[in-house]
Amino acid sequence: MHEWSLAEAVINSLIRLAEDRGATAFEEVEITHGEIMELDTLVFRTAFRELSKGTLVEGTRLVLKEEKAKFKCNNCGAEWDFETVEKILSEEFSVIEEPSGTKESALHFLPNLAPALLKCPSCKSRDFDLASGKGLRISKVVMRT
Amino acid sequence: MSEMSDILFEEARRRLSQVRNIVAVTAGKGGVGKSFVSTSLALALAERGKKVGLLDLDVHGSSVPIMLGLKEEVRAGKEGFRPVRKHNVEIMSIGLLTKDSPVLIKGKDKMDLITSLVALTSWGNLDYLVIDLPPGTGDEVLWVIRVIRNLRSAGALVVTMPSMLSRSVVRKSLRLLVDEGIRILGLVENMSYFKCGKEEIRPFGYGSGEDLAKEFKTRLLVRLPIEPRVEKAMDEGYPPYLASNELKTTFSSLAAAVESLLQKA
Ligand SMILES: Nc1ncnc2c1ncn2[C@@H]1O[C@H](COP(=O)(O)OP(=O)(O)OP(=O)(O)O)[C@@H](O)[C@H]1O
Ligand SMILES: [Mg+2]
Repeated sequence: MHEWSLAEAVINSLIRLAEDRGATAFEEVEITHGEIMELDTLVFRTAFRELSKGTLVEGTRLVLKEEKAKFKCNNCGAEWDFETVEKILSEEFSVIEEPSGTKESALHFLPNLAPALLKCPSCKSRDFDLASGKGLRISKVVMRT
Repeated sequence: MSEMSDILFEEARRRLSQVRNIVAVTAGKGGVGKSFVSTSLALALAERGKKVGLLDLDVHGSSVPIMLGLKEEVRAGKEGFRPVRKHNVEIMSIGLLTKDSPVLIKGKDKMDLITSLVALTSWGNLDYLVIDLPPGTGDEVLWVIRVIRNLRSAGALVVTMPSMLSRSVVRKSLRLLVDEGIRILGLVENMSYFKCGKEEIRPFGYGSGEDLAKEFKTRLLVRLPIEPRVEKAMDEGYPPYLASNELKTTFSSLAAAVESLLQKA
């Protein structure tokens, strides 16, 4: 459910961007979201639409692109992907979603927590890097002036 | 284009700018009682009827959940993480999520982690947010400096101990805060003395608090005793600042002092 907070942050960021560049509206905005965030795109779209009402972002065509996650161990050199992570992720580190009461991994909210919540599947070291797939960025905008 | 760190940093800043007053508790020196002071100050402000949040930004050595015996799971709604409520204080801490795991996280990842945590935490309507920081002048401290630098009603409370070592390390922290334009609310000298009958014994010597206050033209707000019952209080699950009447009164006056200092923005 972090979709609403993220949508709010993106909208505020777009408003600032438009103000900086003297734009009045956006034709299109492309958001690249890291796989680890497990963004529910349907919820994100709803949040984006609802929260942008009455702002200059309202009515923008929203393109969402997922970026794959890549992990690389600094100790043994192993590389792995997000599918592997889902298998080794402990339930211990979860957040309870309201109002449904379901558990969701803290990693989806805070991808940078990876080294605290995961270990290399081959050598069990926490000394690994997460090269991509953890963030959220505005990757493209088409503005109207 | 805008990266997550920028998008969420602005969101974090926006969320914190909605808090009426922010007090960052820092020291430079490890183990002088920052977590004890920040936790106790938060509770004492709440006791005075304020709406208070406590944000633990000690990524590697999170202490607030242990100090307050928090076992609760973090919940999240539409508006983001809902802080855990205890003793009338809203509490958020990385430690609530990482539990007993070592947090091996470095550099930019750490900054981004703090940014996301704050950008996704929904505090509601707060009069005060107290921030507990780790020792040193690293990423966490820099993050807080960046955020509170331009806020109207925010400042740092600096904890020290009456030892030469503490004086020299805490001095660096004070210097950093001054150089970066952060308002110093005052100093707290922790573990100043302990009472043995009527006598005050000062195991770590004199000075530090008063000396540093003079040097940096600020005030020594309170001196706190070493109170063996603090440990017992934590063991038994009640707030450590209620360990003795003296501590309780001292924190109450610290809370009052912080309130009046921040009102004179
Ligand atoms: N005045 C006091 N009387 C008795 N015990 C105290 C007092 N102040 C702090 N302590 C205890 O000393 C220990 C260190 O305090 P605390 O964890 O608050 O320090 P810190 O500065 O936050 O440490 P760190 O640098 O690791 O973050 C804790 O166990 C705490 O309960
Ligand atoms: Mg501490």
